[in-house]
Amino acid sequence: MLRLQSIILAKAKHFTVPSPSSLRLVKKRMIAMDLMHHSSCFLLPTIPLQRRPSLTTAQLHLCADGGANRLYDEMPLFFPQEDASDVRRRYKPDVIKGDMDSIRREVLEFYASLGTEIVDKSHDQDTTDLHKCVTYIRDSASGLDKSNLCILVVGALGGRFDHEMGNVNVICRFSYMRIVLLSNDSLIHLLPRTYCHEIHIQTSVEGPHCGLIPIGTPSKSSTTTGLQWDLNNTAMEFGGLVSTSNIVKEEKVTVQSDCDLLWTISIKKL
Amino acid sequence: MDSIRKEVLDFYRSLGTKIIDKSHDQDTTDLHKCITYIWDFAPDANKSSLCILVAGALGGRYDHEMGNLNVLYCFSSLRIVLLSDDSLIYLLPRTHHHEIHIQTSVEGPHCGLIPIGAPSRSSTTTGLRWNLNNTEMRFGGLISSSNIVVGEKVTVQSDTDLLWTISIKKL
Repeated sequence: MLRLQSIILAKAKHFTVPSPSSLRLVKKRMIAMDLMHHSSCFLLPTIPLQRRPSLTTAQLHLCADGGANRLYDEMPLFFPQEDASDVRRRYKPDVIKGDMDSIRREVLEFYASLGTEIVDKSHDQDTTDLHKCVTYIRDSASGLDKSNLCILVVGALGGRFDHEMGNVNVICRFSYMRIVLLSNDSLIHLLPRTYCHEIHIQTSVEGPHCGLIPIGTPSKSSTTTGLQWDLNNTAMEFGGLVSTSNIVKEEKVTVQSDCDLLWTISIKKL
Repeated sequence: MDSIRKEVLDFYRSLGTKIIDKSHDQDTTDLHKCITYIWDFAPDANKSSLCILVAGALGGRYDHEMGNLNVLYCFSSLRIVLLSDDSLIYLLPRTHHHEIHIQTSVEGPHCGLIPIGAPSRSSTTTGLRWNLNNTEMRFGGLISSSNIVVGEKVTVQSDTDLLWTISIKKL
C-alpha cells in the first residue's frame, strides 16, 4: 500500500457511527470523570472498493511541506489508467504550510497554479511542519466547522524516527484536539487523562493488535476492559511494563488512567 | 514462535540453527527474549564491551516499535542500537555524560533527543544546531526533533534517560 506523507485531512463530513455521535463528548459521569468516545469510522470505505483514508469526505486538505511531494508523486499511482495531471488536479490540497525546505519547486508551482493556498512559515524554526498545520486548522481556517473537529494525519509514522516523535509530540501538545496519526500499519491517538475513554473497535478495518503507551510520564494506575491482557490499576512505565502486543477481544475497549496514554491499534490490510 | 513460518523454521533448523521456543512466556516481547539470551550467553569478560544491533526494529506496527524501545529502557546497562532504513536509536542513560562521535559519511545530519517515558528537567548539549542548555524537555512541550549535527562530536548530559536518534544516509 502506498504511503502518503503528512497530508492532513480535517474532519470527515459524516461518519457511520454507533449511537451517539462518536465525536461529541458525552456528559456522562463515570467515576467523577467525563466520558470520551472514539471510533475509527474514517477508515471505513464510503463506496465499495474505495481506498482508505476517505480523502473525498474531508472538509479541508493540507500538506505539511514535503507531504506535497508525496501527494504529487504517489496519488497518480492509485489511478494508473488515468492521466497523472488529471488525478493531481482532482486531489489537490487546499493549503500547503510549513517552512518550505522540503517541497520541490515544481510541486509548489503546480499546486499554486491550481489555487492551493501556500503559507510559508520558514521564519519559524521552533515548531514542526505538522504543528504549523494544526495551528492553521485551529486558528486560521475560515469556513471550517470546528465544533466536532477531527484531524487525520496520513503518512505520520515510519521514516525518520525524530520526525515520527515530533508528530507524536504534536498530538500531546494539542491534547484537547482529536488528532489521529495514520500509517499503513497502525493508527495512534491520545487518550487524555482527564477522561474515561470508550473506544469502539471497527473490526472490519482495525485490530486485533493494540497497545497503550505511557509516552511522556509513567502511569501509577491504568485500568482497561475489552483487551486480552487488561490492566487493573496497573502501573506502566518505560523500563517496566508497557502494554504492547495486546489484543482487542471485544468491540468496545474502555481505558482510564492517571496519565495521558497513546492508544495504538493495527490497521487491517485491504 | 507464533510468527515464523514452518518452512523457514525447518530450513534454518536443518542448517544447525538453534531453535529456542519460549511460547509459554507471554509477558515479554521476542526482542526482550533475545536480549536475555545474549546476556546469559555472553561470557562475563565480554559483557561490558557488548553491543547489540537490532535491524528492522522500527516501522511496521507502532506497538511493536514501542515494545522495542521499551527493551532499551529495560536493559539500560547494555549497548543496544535499534536500526531502520532511515534512522538509528540508542539510549543515553542519565547516569553518564555522553560523547557521540558522528560518522559523517554514513549518518546525520538530522538528529533528535527524545525524553520518552519521563520528562527531563535539565538537559545540556554541544555540537548541535539547536543546543540545549539546562533545558527542560517533555512530551506535550519541547522535545528535540529535526535537530542538526554541526560537528563530528556531540555531547549530552541529562537528568533523565534520553533516546538519541540520528538519520542514516542513503547509499
